[in-house]
Amino acid sequence: MQDKIRQKARELLSSGAVKVVIGYGEGTGSRVRALFIQRPEDADRLIMDERCVQNLAVYLTKHEVRAIGKPAIVAKMPVIRSINHLAYEEQFNEGDIAVIGISDSDELVDLPDLTSVREYAAKNPLLLTAEERAELDKLETMTREERWNYWLEELSNCIKCYACRASCPMCYCPRCTVEVNQPQWISVPAHEIGNVEWHIMRAMHLAGRCVNCGECTRACPVKIPLRLLNQRIIADIAVNFGQSEDYALAAFNPNDKEDFIR
Amino acid sequence: MSRIGVFVCHCGTNISATVDCPGVAETLSHVPGVVHSVDYKYMCSDPGQTMIKDAIKEHKLDGVVVSACSPHMHEPTFRRACAEAGLNPYLCEMANLREHCSWVHDKEEATTVKAIDLVRKMVEKVKKNQPLYSIKVPVTKTALVLGGGIAGIQAALDIANAGHKVVMVERDPSIGGHMSQLSETFPTLDCSQCILTPRMVEVAQHPNITLHTYSELESLEGFIGNFKVKIRKKARCVDEKLCTGCGLCSQKCPTKKNLSEFNEGLGYRPAIYSPFPQAVPNKPVIDKTQCTFFLKGKCKVCEKVCPTKAIRYDQEDQILDIDIGAIVLATGFKVLQPDFFPEYGYGKYKDVIQGLQFERLASASGPTSGEMKRPSDGKEPETVVFVACAGSRDEAKGLPYCSKICCMYTAKHAMLYKHKVHHGNAYVFYMDIRSGGKMYDEFVRRAIEEDGVKYIRGRVSTIYEEDGKLIVKGADTLLGHQTVEIKADMVVLASAAVANDGAEELAQKLHVSYDPYHFFAEAHPKLRPVETNTAGIFLAGACQAPRDIPETVSQASGAASKVAALFSQSELTREPIIAVVNRTAPPLHSTCTGCALCVPACPYQAIEMEDIKNRDGKVVKRAAKINPGLCQGCGTCVALCRVKAIDLQGFSNEQIFAELMAL
Repeated sequence: MQDKIRQKARELLSSGAVKVVIGYGEGTGSRVRALFIQRPEDADRLIMDERCVQNLAVYLTKHEVRAIGKPAIVAKMPVIRSINHLAYEEQFNEGDIAVIGISDSDELVDLPDLTSVREYAAKNPLLLTAEERAELDKLETMTREERWNYWLEELSNCIKCYACRASCPMCYCPRCTVEVNQPQWISVPAHEIGNVEWHIMRAMHLAGRCVNCGECTRACPVKIPLRLLNQRIIADIAVNFGQSEDYALAAFNPNDKEDFIR
Repeated sequence: MSRIGVFVCHCGTNISATVDCPGVAETLSHVPGVVHSVDYKYMCSDPGQTMIKDAIKEHKLDGVVVSACSPHMHEPTFRRACAEAGLNPYLCEMANLREHCSWVHDKEEATTVKAIDLVRKMVEKVKKNQPLYSIKVPVTKTALVLGGGIAGIQAALDIANAGHKVVMVERDPSIGGHMSQLSETFPTLDCSQCILTPRMVEVAQHPNITLHTYSELESLEGFIGNFKVKIRKKARCVDEKLCTGCGLCSQKCPTKKNLSEFNEGLGYRPAIYSPFPQAVPNKPVIDKTQCTFFLKGKCKVCEKVCPTKAIRYDQEDQILDIDIGAIVLATGFKVLQPDFFPEYGYGKYKDVIQGLQFERLASASGPTSGEMKRPSDGKEPETVVFVACAGSRDEAKGLPYCSKICCMYTAKHAMLYKHKVHHGNAYVFYMDIRSGGKMYDEFVRRAIEEDGVKYIRGRVSTIYEEDGKLIVKGADTLLGHQTVEIKADMVVLASAAVANDGAEELAQKLHVSYDPYHFFAEAHPKLRPVETNTAGIFLAGACQAPRDIPETVSQASGAASKVAALFSQSELTREPIIAVVNRTAPPLHSTCTGCALCVPACPYQAIEMEDIKNRDGKVVKRAAKINPGLCQGCGTCVALCRVKAIDLQGFSNEQIFAELMAL
């Protein structure tokens, strides 16, 4: 697999099809880091193994990366889904990026354009695993008070470092709501109410957009199980709206069974 | 520092009975930013308004809070008073002390405390108010009427008579719609064509009406007052300017055995045809699917016989671009197709027909010249069974609604039959007789009592042929579900009225909502029955729901009066309570992320994406932009926007926040 990625990256760079390949490389210790390969001869630094789980799509919207030129990105399933969402939200157009797709069964997937990304994402719908469901069910069995207290305790650890936001490919807004201070929607200091406000808001802003890559949970230095919030919403959307390519929470449909808007 | 004036109204004793009004005024005078605070018995009265105007001038007020009734009631009054005193009207707000406080609480301390809170909150809001200016949208004073049935004809004539231009578009070669097919009309039994055709001619000759028959709507863009439509004028293969409508081409056309749409398949027409003799315009069209020339490449008989040389085989579809200010949708309905009733043998037995076919049989202009002859062998039917609710009110078949017109026209059919065949037997199977309407029930009684039509309450289960008779099996529920079997010579199904072909696509083209049965949806079932949820598009007739001629005509006039009201001014003035996407200095240009999720969220299609360009014309950002003509200020996009790049003027996030923080 690793060789195939290196080969593909070399081709893309030497043909001039892309200016940079975003992939995984060795970091310090046994850790993996994101690599930005700009010369074909550096392609051999790219790696692919079970440690390579970060959602690299987060770099696609960074203006530093955009400044380099057209990128190619090593994309496993969560990254492909992120790319699909970002394209739906018009963050890039056809031809702006190249995708080195990798299937769940570790095969290279040919994704020449955004349409093929969309079709591939639609073919592989976002489903929660049995373990993820079990974890959600555990929360479900709690009473309302127990669950509230559980979250208050978890969120009281938050130090408002915003690593969850920085690691999330869907958190690409140039000015986050937490930075809006006219009026001040979210209390900034890392105290109980401010933390709850921040995380509820983030979860709601990701409703229907989260691809369940788990990056926020991995990035959190105080180990808050943030993905549970998003997974709960993913489960609810699946039940209430089904699998849809549209953004379920925003599409106005005159035939919606809720008629309050008319 | 703000200079706000607070004006507390007693509303007679409506407010002062439970609220200490002078106390409220006194407390408010100490709130920072309030420079003037008074109470008065009737603020909305002339002296009350003068108090406000004088105070604005005397104290140089930059904000006004009137603490009185609901803004629904008097906000326009007080805003106008402020404007007359030179203050921007949108710097005036109302605190609702009557509905929100005095009427719903007893006289006690806490009631006055709540009243003070309500006023304080509005004072904090007004501090954040910005002057706003009403929005002016120009209006193109031309109406588009889609559909040339009686609904469209009435709407077009009413609008045209009000002095405005009308463009009428009809899909078929002639206007007239279903009404032109009817024989007589209930409850007066006057001849349908006799009352309709003069109006059709009036449409064609009216100086304010431009008629496009054999045409369809291709696309629609824009918004109220400023629509841009494309009309596809299908090729008639006849030069309308040269054609005199002499009809020689139709007479000589060798391909005559084409089922006539106008006669509901009971008669024939040539390949070059006018649907009926009174057609407007009386210019034929060539049916390319039947014409020998178009099928085999030779014939051209019509070209040879045409005295004015008007035949144009090479004519192509034309696309017309027209600017429109308002649209009346009057596209009508159709009746259910044969495959819907396998148990009744419709389509299988020639003598099982639907209501519109019976109309043609009974009509003097029909295939039998009005003589009662059944389709199979032309014999006079001795026994006719009329089946009401054929398809309607049948949940099992997915049509739970009542088609509304069938009870009446079935009574009419039975009556017409009895008038033509005096010794004949007419049976009507019905579920309920719904004859609400002026002279309607009397009409049904007349059919039963004077004309001797036998009404059987029950449904028909099956119809089959035996020894040349149609055996109609049903139940009589008034005789304890007794089985009834009638040997009939002809059966008439009062088949359900359903949405017209292409209704769904048309609704989507126009962004008009529709119900599960593809009838167009009104904006409010009771109070806005002729408006759609898209401003500037109105409804008339059976495209909204099954309805009879009197209802259709009154609804069409209703829609026309809405259009006339819209066209009565050259500009539309709108409240500036609309959403706005912010624009900031470069390099941000706007805090909008350009995610475009607000575009599908808007119920009014008011949001589009705009390219922001730098001075070299290079696109530097894509951001949402709200069309002030379309936005209704519902606030959906404001709630949706993650980055708070959208704000609602007059109810901005900052204003609402200030109100909440004051409590």
